[in-house]
Amino acid sequence: MKVVGLVSGGKDSCYNLMCAVNEGHEIVALANLHPPKESECEELDSYMYQSVGADGVELYGEAMGVPLYRRQISGQPKNQAADYEKTDGDEVEDLYELLVEVKKHHPDVQGVSAGAILSSYQKVRVEDVCRRLDLTPLCFLWEREQNSLLAEMVSSGLDAILIKVAAIGLGEQHLGRTLAEMAPIMKNLQDKYGVHPCGEGGEFESFVRDCSLFKRRIVIDETETVVHQDDPVAPVFYLRLKKMHLEDK
Amino acid sequence: MVNFTIDEIRALMDRKRNIRNMSVIAHVDHGKSTLTDSLVSKAGIIAGSKAGETRFTDTRKDEQERCITIKSTAISMFFELDKKDMDFVKGDGQVEIAEVDGKKEKYNGFLINLIDSPGHVDFSSEVTAALRVTDGALVVVDCVSGVCVQTETVLRQAIAERIKPILFMNKMDRALLELQLGAEELFQTFQRIVENINVIIATYGDDDGPMGAIMVDPSIGNVGFGSGLHGWAFTLKQFSEMYADKFGVQVDKLMKNLWGDRFFDLKTKKWSSSQTDESKRGFCQFVLDPIFMVFDAIMNIKKDKTAALIEKLGIKLANDEKELEGKQLMKAFMRRWLPAGETMLQMIAFHLPSPVTAQRYRMEMLYEGPHDDEAAVAIKNCDPNGPLMMYVSKMVPTSDKGRFYAFGRVFSGKVATGMKARIQGPNYIPGKKEDLFEKTIQRTILMMGRFIEPIEDIPSGNIAGLVGVDQYLVKGGTITTFKDAHNMRVMKFSVSPVVRVAVEAKNPADLPKLVEGLKRLAKSDPMVQCIFEESGEHIIAGAGELHLEICLKDLEEDHACIPLKKSDPVVSYRETVQAESNQICLSKSPNKHNRLHCTALPMPDGLADDIEGGVVNARDEFKARAKILAEKYEYDVTEARKIWCFGPDGTGPNLLMDVTKGVQYLNEIKDSVVAGFQWATREGVLADENMRGVRFNIHDVTLHADAIHRGGGQIIPTARRVFYASVLTAEPRLLEPVYLVEIQCPEAAVGGIYGVLNRRRGHVFEEAQVAGTPMFVVKAYLPVNESFGFTADLRSNTGGQAFPQCVFDHWQVLPGDPLEAGTKPYQIVLDTRKRKGLKEGVPALDNYLDKM
Repeated sequence: MKVVGLVSGGKDSCYNLMCAVNEGHEIVALANLHPPKESECEELDSYMYQSVGADGVELYGEAMGVPLYRRQISGQPKNQAADYEKTDGDEVEDLYELLVEVKKHHPDVQGVSAGAILSSYQKVRVEDVCRRLDLTPLCFLWEREQNSLLAEMVSSGLDAILIKVAAIGLGEQHLGRTLAEMAPIMKNLQDKYGVHPCGEGGEFESFVRDCSLFKRRIVIDETETVVHQDDPVAPVFYLRLKKMHLEDK
Repeated sequence: MVNFTIDEIRALMDRKRNIRNMSVIAHVDHGKSTLTDSLVSKAGIIAGSKAGETRFTDTRKDEQERCITIKSTAISMFFELDKKDMDFVKGDGQVEIAEVDGKKEKYNGFLINLIDSPGHVDFSSEVTAALRVTDGALVVVDCVSGVCVQTETVLRQAIAERIKPILFMNKMDRALLELQLGAEELFQTFQRIVENINVIIATYGDDDGPMGAIMVDPSIGNVGFGSGLHGWAFTLKQFSEMYADKFGVQVDKLMKNLWGDRFFDLKTKKWSSSQTDESKRGFCQFVLDPIFMVFDAIMNIKKDKTAALIEKLGIKLANDEKELEGKQLMKAFMRRWLPAGETMLQMIAFHLPSPVTAQRYRMEMLYEGPHDDEAAVAIKNCDPNGPLMMYVSKMVPTSDKGRFYAFGRVFSGKVATGMKARIQGPNYIPGKKEDLFEKTIQRTILMMGRFIEPIEDIPSGNIAGLVGVDQYLVKGGTITTFKDAHNMRVMKFSVSPVVRVAVEAKNPADLPKLVEGLKRLAKSDPMVQCIFEESGEHIIAGAGELHLEICLKDLEEDHACIPLKKSDPVVSYRETVQAESNQICLSKSPNKHNRLHCTALPMPDGLADDIEGGVVNARDEFKARAKILAEKYEYDVTEARKIWCFGPDGTGPNLLMDVTKGVQYLNEIKDSVVAGFQWATREGVLADENMRGVRFNIHDVTLHADAIHRGGGQIIPTARRVFYASVLTAEPRLLEPVYLVEIQCPEAAVGGIYGVLNRRRGHVFEEAQVAGTPMFVVKAYLPVNESFGFTADLRSNTGGQAFPQCVFDHWQVLPGDPLEAGTKPYQIVLDTRKRKGLKEGVPALDNYLDKM
């Protein structure tokens, strides 16, 4: 099946693509929604999309060697109910528009790869959009046990670092750490406070620097730490990716 | 020579009606340990001549050196009561009927388990632990000083635990020799003390309560008089017996005439209730006059008269004693005439309840479970064949370093060497596995003051020590064989650990020893708190300066055995609010998808005290509790029914109330919000101190539709933030602990006291002369923070004549805004934060408050 990969720059969307390739699917395009360029704050606190690290996604298409389609998020999380139906001006409709555009360029696309693990909120919305466009959603990670999933990602050679933290027990010192380094820390926080080890509740966001699908790897040259919310217990920090380049593997 | 064997004691343990479990309680320096010696010597454990000097129950070296009791000490003793006195033991639960030569008669052997407790307020927790395992209390009052603050504190506790009190007026020798009081004055003094004690009993007890009338009354013999130091004592019964034949009336009838306004006319030989010129008060005439006569004859060395008295009263002095003169002779004489041990034995045997009597009314106070389950019934009946229910009230260090005997009372069943039992800690909840161990009792032992004796088993109604359960209990707990047993209620202490010091090892390599030592210290003292701060500080919190001093010494010399560095003592503060939050505070979760809306407001006056005192309890049935809150504190009943929890620790004096209307998924996040609340109330926003007297309302909650986005990782920190924001918008204040200080001194020293108190922000609220003495009693409130070095300061300013007793009384708002630079609370917050290694300055409100 020819597949378009929804990518955020994070580990889940990327790993889901790796799973899709393993299953024999072919990636023909990547799609990404990014926050408005002119907005002061790169973190939209969107209900649907990871927005931190959008700067890095630009290099994704080139790294994988497939075309990347991008669109600015213009909608708001208007419909916040558990179930979704078409709502004008909602951020979900941005996804719809983006996929319409992808379909225009690649009429043979049949599947959509999405990296949802436990968030039925996201899954319900992706499925709604796919249904309207007659596409098949592919969520290989859905309801996987998170600790083993995280371990699997690490062992698959997926190289990702944390670019945002937003949960009890996580702080500035965790920014830039790799998944392999974070796995034991997350396990500990899960036991203590019920934090989700894969960051599925928004605990952290990651950025993939390299994986088996990448033909060239992304090297981050310069970052800047931004304080989004200062609180001694559960501060929110993120990394602004200021300068990057691709490097041959 | 000890005149009983362990076998005799073990045999008596089964005769539960002949057991008396009692504690000796009093104000510091009123002579408990000294008086206890009289009974110990009667049991033959120490020589009679040494009684009053040995203080056998002061087992520690520092107790002997300082002449102060620090730890409570238990001792079991066997006595035989004179057969002719057996009729005075009344009530069917009070004596066993034994069969002798085919005839049924009352058994006259008694087992007395006595616990001598400390009198200094700093060690009140030891008294609490002692009271829990006993049924009766001998309240000792120095008849010169009268009823003091600690007398009241311990007596109040005794009554709350349903412990029956009897009274002993000690130090009569001082009244006679030093103050030279006349007979009538002395009577007035005694009567005033009896009245004072009865006022306390009436205030905190209830005559119609399950214990029945517990007032003390010399005319029924539950008040003793005498001198522990000199080893003599009497009740009106002794004197009544001397005269009963002469008057030809029964002993108990005559006792009524020997107290109060009963006057005897020597000419008409008639008793009357009003005094005439010819008549004299019975107590003075028949009790005090003979004693005065003896004192006069011996102290003024009137040899003939003395010889005549020895002859007349039938005193048999030992050969070497015949040569004595003055005070020494007087001691020997009085000890033969009115032996203190015998008097105390009679008071205890006649007037204190046996476990059979006491457990009938104490069960409902002691047991947390339903009052009709197997354990409750067995406790009520003191049934040795029922399931084992034992309460461990404290840990006693063994000679083996780091190990402890678990000391407590068997309320039902039997505890035996080698038996398997359930060890339930204070956090055990029936049906769950937390704080529960099933282990073998290695050994059961009998506590004998400074010695212990191994014993096969110990049946209900007795006090026991256990070996091998110390590693499963921190300070105390319940031991049972009944698998559905609930816990025995934990003890409520009258003092709280408000003074703290930080300790560290002088040699950093000794840190593991220090940690181990602190754990042992926490075990060995019922109240001390050993806290391991996240900053790496080790904190010891105690009731007062003396308590801390002893704890530190124990830690250094016995528990850790390493040299220590100690910080200056500091005070624990509490954080509270003065007004309602000026807005409904909003905080968003870190992922911004959940919102909590809350406010904070102060609780009505008295509610925090009621929660701490257990009147309003986290474990109460919620409807009954709501009713109390509505009636007493005018809370809205529907709101009061929706208390989510108390905090910190689930029981503290802060409330979390749900005042939302129809919020989706609210119950799903309840646990996380509660966790955030416990955290916030334990570590307040100002200086990481506990909060007190704050009520939080949850007004509204907006949650992400998806469960994954509203887990604990998101909600716990959000709840904590919103509570902090609520406090910061509700005029936060610091509370400081305040001591009630009672100072006894001669009139000339009163001026000096005022000076010292004024310098230390204290204020006097009562000043009165102790009637019949030249002493003054000054009562004042003194902030604990100002109390360090107070005793020394006071002594130097009054020429060593004033002696203060400080007992924690209440929390008081420290005036000033802790958020405004330059105020005193601001400085305290700054210092505390610095000490705890927190960020400098209270975080600004916008750290916690989010915009819509």
